[in-house]
Amino acid sequence: MLEAVNRHGRGPSAVVPILHDVQDHYRYLPEDALQKVCELTEITPAAITGVSTFYTQFRHKPVGRHMISVCHGTACHVKGADQVTWALRRRLGLAGDEDTDSEGLFTLRKVACLGCCTLAPAVQIDYVTYGHLDADLAPKVLDDFLALARRTGDRRRRTVTGSAEGAEGEIRLGLGSCCISRGSGTLHDALLDALEKTDVSARIKPVGCVGMCHQTPLLEVLPPAGGSYLYAKVEPDDARAIVLRHFKPRGPLGRIRNVVSSLLDRLLTDESWEPVTRYSIDVRDGPVHSFLDKQKHIATESFGQIAPVDLDEYISHGGFEAARHCVTELSPEEVIDRVSASGLRGRGGAGFPTGRKWAAVRAASDAVRYTICNGDEGDPGAFMDRMLLESFPFRIIEGMMIASFAVGAHEGFFYIRAEYPLAVRRVREAVALCEERGLLGDNLFGSSFSLRLRLKRGAGAFVCGEETALIASIEGRRGMPRLRPPYPAERGLLGKPTLVNNVETLGLVPSIVTPGPSGSESFSRLGTERSPGTKVFALAGKIARGGLIEVPMGITIKEIVEEIGGGIAGGRRFKAVQVGGPSGGCVPAALSHVAVDYESLAEAGAIIGSGGLVVLDEDDCMVDIARYFMEFIQNQSCGRCTFCRVGTRRMLDIMEALCAGRARPGDLDRLEELAPRVREASLCGLGRTAPNPVLSTLRHFRSEYEAHIDGRCPAGKCKALISYEVNDECIGCTLCAQHCGADAIGLTPYEKHGIDAARCIRCGTCRNVCPFGAVEVRTGKTTGGD
Amino acid sequence: MVTLRIDDQEVTVAPGSTLLDGARALGISIPTLCFLDRCEANSSCMVCVVQVSGRKGMVPACAYPAGEGLEVRSDTPAVRAARKTALELLLGDHSGDCLGQCQRACPAGMDIPAMIRQIAAGEPDRAIETVKAHIALPAVLGRICPAPCEGACRRKDLDSALSICLLKRYAADVDLARPDPWLPPSRAERPGKVAVVGAGPAGLAAAFYLRREGIGCTVFDDHAAPGGGLRRGVPEDRLPRAVLDAEIALIQKMGVAFRLGCRIGDDLSLDDLRSSHDAVLLALGPVEPGRDGWLSEFASPRGIAVDRETFATGAPGVFAAGDALRERRLAVRSVAQGREAALSVSRHLSNGPGVERDTLFSTTMGRLTKDQLEAFRGIDKEARRIEPSGGRSSGFTPGEAGAEAERCLHCDCRKLGSCALRALAIDHGASPRRFRGPGRAFEPPLVHGNVTYEPGKCISCGLCIQITARAADALGLSFRGRGFGVRVRVPFERPLDEALASAAEACAAACPTGALLTAC
Repeated sequence: MLEAVNRHGRGPSAVVPILHDVQDHYRYLPEDALQKVCELTEITPAAITGVSTFYTQFRHKPVGRHMISVCHGTACHVKGADQVTWALRRRLGLAGDEDTDSEGLFTLRKVACLGCCTLAPAVQIDYVTYGHLDADLAPKVLDDFLALARRTGDRRRRTVTGSAEGAEGEIRLGLGSCCISRGSGTLHDALLDALEKTDVSARIKPVGCVGMCHQTPLLEVLPPAGGSYLYAKVEPDDARAIVLRHFKPRGPLGRIRNVVSSLLDRLLTDESWEPVTRYSIDVRDGPVHSFLDKQKHIATESFGQIAPVDLDEYISHGGFEAARHCVTELSPEEVIDRVSASGLRGRGGAGFPTGRKWAAVRAASDAVRYTICNGDEGDPGAFMDRMLLESFPFRIIEGMMIASFAVGAHEGFFYIRAEYPLAVRRVREAVALCEERGLLGDNLFGSSFSLRLRLKRGAGAFVCGEETALIASIEGRRGMPRLRPPYPAERGLLGKPTLVNNVETLGLVPSIVTPGPSGSESFSRLGTERSPGTKVFALAGKIARGGLIEVPMGITIKEIVEEIGGGIAGGRRFKAVQVGGPSGGCVPAALSHVAVDYESLAEAGAIIGSGGLVVLDEDDCMVDIARYFMEFIQNQSCGRCTFCRVGTRRMLDIMEALCAGRARPGDLDRLEELAPRVREASLCGLGRTAPNPVLSTLRHFRSEYEAHIDGRCPAGKCKALISYEVNDECIGCTLCAQHCGADAIGLTPYEKHGIDAARCIRCGTCRNVCPFGAVEVRTGKTTGGD
Repeated sequence: MVTLRIDDQEVTVAPGSTLLDGARALGISIPTLCFLDRCEANSSCMVCVVQVSGRKGMVPACAYPAGEGLEVRSDTPAVRAARKTALELLLGDHSGDCLGQCQRACPAGMDIPAMIRQIAAGEPDRAIETVKAHIALPAVLGRICPAPCEGACRRKDLDSALSICLLKRYAADVDLARPDPWLPPSRAERPGKVAVVGAGPAGLAAAFYLRREGIGCTVFDDHAAPGGGLRRGVPEDRLPRAVLDAEIALIQKMGVAFRLGCRIGDDLSLDDLRSSHDAVLLALGPVEPGRDGWLSEFASPRGIAVDRETFATGAPGVFAAGDALRERRLAVRSVAQGREAALSVSRHLSNGPGVERDTLFSTTMGRLTKDQLEAFRGIDKEARRIEPSGGRSSGFTPGEAGAEAERCLHCDCRKLGSCALRALAIDHGASPRRFRGPGRAFEPPLVHGNVTYEPGKCISCGLCIQITARAADALGLSFRGRGFGVRVRVPFERPLDEALASAAEACAAACPTGALLTAC
């Protein structure tokens, strides 16, 4: 306790870091510990109560040994997070409000978004992520996790080696969160093993996110002979085969050892070469080509090529040249002029011109100013900021340097959400490296400009993405937004003029102010006139090739979905794309010609937002999607103003009634009365945009709302309004009965199966596993029976 | 200095002022709940929203900085609609009874909880004033009323309902037993004469309240003795005639003239009455329009047709009340309507607003379970209702009345008069039911020392948190949780008086609802 206090200080702003430390120690926040903190510091009991109950990361009850976090992001929601939760709860024997099993082994919690949407539905157990689960698989991962936990006890810890002396060739391995959760960590170990055993001296290089999350873990091999080979979905067992395919073992001993062991392998498995070619893909191949062709990498420049926290490599790729240029050769005003000339608009959602924001802070009368990098990316379905922070921490730091120089700030903060531990770690490491190298601190680049950067971890509050709430959070208060004006540019952190920019915005800055006059021009040549440049999107949902993409503004939805994303997975029909998360809306397939820029999307009832693109198909119910976002907002509302605190709750009540078949005819009127009021009179952006998902679906899919009032769910999604039935195509293969997690299908071999509606949880597993299309979804009062 | 315009009026304020400051300087009234001078603006309730030119949507006037050249509108339909919705959202999540369930169930809307508190305090003379504010014949009704109030009493779900009817009778009997029973303070006589036709419960009640308002009135009845159905339809053992006579005598004492044995239609025509009086109130009891031919012009299938708000018939200056409208055989309703109609006649005669109608506006806690009721007032053992020792016909002794009154749960809000939420809701015509949710979970009040906190009534404005944070001796209060579930709580479950300490009075005074109060 004392240690935490000594580390973080005694002032009121130390409360969040201290609470993190206390929780890291006890795994929850015991009241005695909180009282002790109050005794040791200036933090009052009222403050610690208010703060510790505001942020959802903080727990006030003891928890089980392992924490299971079930992601309820948009992509996970549409892919069945509810069913996964149900199956896990059943496996753990949790009843009612219980969240911890009787042995105290696991605690189950719901999290807003883990930011690994391409793995949906995803579950994180402690630091291990499992993806692509369903009701059938979910319980099995618990056993897998326990087995893994036992294994890791005696696993050799290996550090990731950045370079190897005398290495010939390179093996690049994606080590972003997505890749790690898909096994790139184990793969890294397997590669080291393989190199050691085969005596090959290639260098293994961990690189940041490649963006092609649908192919992870992804491996790129650069053999000494030249060329580049890409391997997708690589298993650890493939490591040796890949190594041997491209590299010659050194020395006779290595060769012999290798021959022996591979002979043994062949004897045992007889398939040591085959799988490799199966996984091998070529950049010139169709799918990869389409995935990459339409993209334009600026914020994600050098994607998949450079190691995230290798400062030398970043510098060798021209890193910090833009910052040096600005600090040593330009005046702050010139920097602002260039950013203004580029037309760059904030990538956090609202699209405010970045140059104007900088100019406002520059113009403030107070000499003490701050810059903040807003890394509190919280939109479910968005993970581009996580990827940028994990993969390109130096570029974001450089953006912070340039911004701070331009506005005249000497102190800056990274505010990164606690759900992104890897991003937090990498940015910390990167900042430390910069400090060692004199790239942060006093007299940067030999000038009089000095800058210090600090990192603040969030604690689980979506609303802290709003800049005034973010500032409150850094100051150690509840993350409640306040009215703007005054804007942070005028009165921000500690009452001082403050620049708050989004991660991606800062990531674009270095390329805009590169030495030579062309940076801002070449940036503004991309995209559209009013929305210049590129935007990074997280493409997820019912798409064939999900991932992280950076595209020029103005590209159409159709191009993204069909060409980059490869269309809808599983041969279903494209229905809509949800853009902009809980502040955005659904653009129907009929409007897929709409260009992706700030104005066009707003016209279609959506927004770019932070850049989540969740693709929906015919099986997705638009009323359910709107309900999902209302629920999300309702959980994230800070509770300050009436319209958001109560208004969104009442909207959610109506949406829940619709999905449960309890809605009455007047409910749509009440919804349409309330939604515009919440939009026009809420205090902050969260409340003001909260009705958008409802309004946009009402606008484009009104008939679905009306059907729900009649007790029908046309998409066959809302559980209360549907039933599963077996038709005459059933041959009695028993597959459905074997997979049913709810024991709702009796095992009747060679006979038509039946589904017990009372037990059925409408998870759809039977329908998915049936090879004969014999399971149907029925909806409507006539078939619903009870 | 900063100059701006609010509702087309120019105002100059000091830098750092808000739109609310500007409006106040202009005398423009902007409603607020969560705002208090010398506190930082909470901008929570959002009932002070206004429109600012060039800005989408609305902003809270309490926090928005007054800027040079701003054009502000505080009076548009959109602003009023937004304020009303804000109030309806707050009301829809407000778990508390403004009025006791008993009062809401009483056809006369009598302030039953106040009467009970006065009886409990040993002040039956004050209780009778409370009773007679709504009920002209309490000794009569105290014997024959079926007491819908008791059916609504929350205590009936705990053990048994309060014996409200007998308590009212107790107050009335004590009064009648005095040499000089209570009469309403006499008002200055006002011009205008009213003919009341029918001396039953509605007519007698009307006469009582007309005189209370200083209006001259004559009661016509075709029988030889006043009382109507009370005299002829109720057996003597239920309603001793002496009681009826005593209460009629009091009405007579107020200056009401009676013309008995006079049948309208035969002895006098309606036109005669209309020409000799400024208004006529028909309180005839059940009518048969077919038989009473002169009534045919007012006929509806059930009786005389009137405007439900004003009790005015289609004929100018002619009003009607009681069973003449529809036979209900519920004396308390007739008494209530007689009063309402009298007040309507009074407004009619003064050609103006006259006496304000009571507002029965109320939010509600909804139904509470037995356990919740026990927690509601910290009751640890059952106490069933007290039966009069001398049998029901003899009524309560003072001791019994006091003990029975002590059983009251006091569900009604003790800050009814000072609750800003209720006042604004009435003012804006906001409905507590428009955005009523599935029900806020009941939370028992916290009572420590002389301070009570009812979480269900809290609108999470944060004023008490700010005030306690400044009091050096107070532990302070804080928000707990966030979003819809946010609540004001004492840190570490410490006692409430420790949280408030010297700030208790200030917090109770600042609380815009009945959530925080110090014992009166």
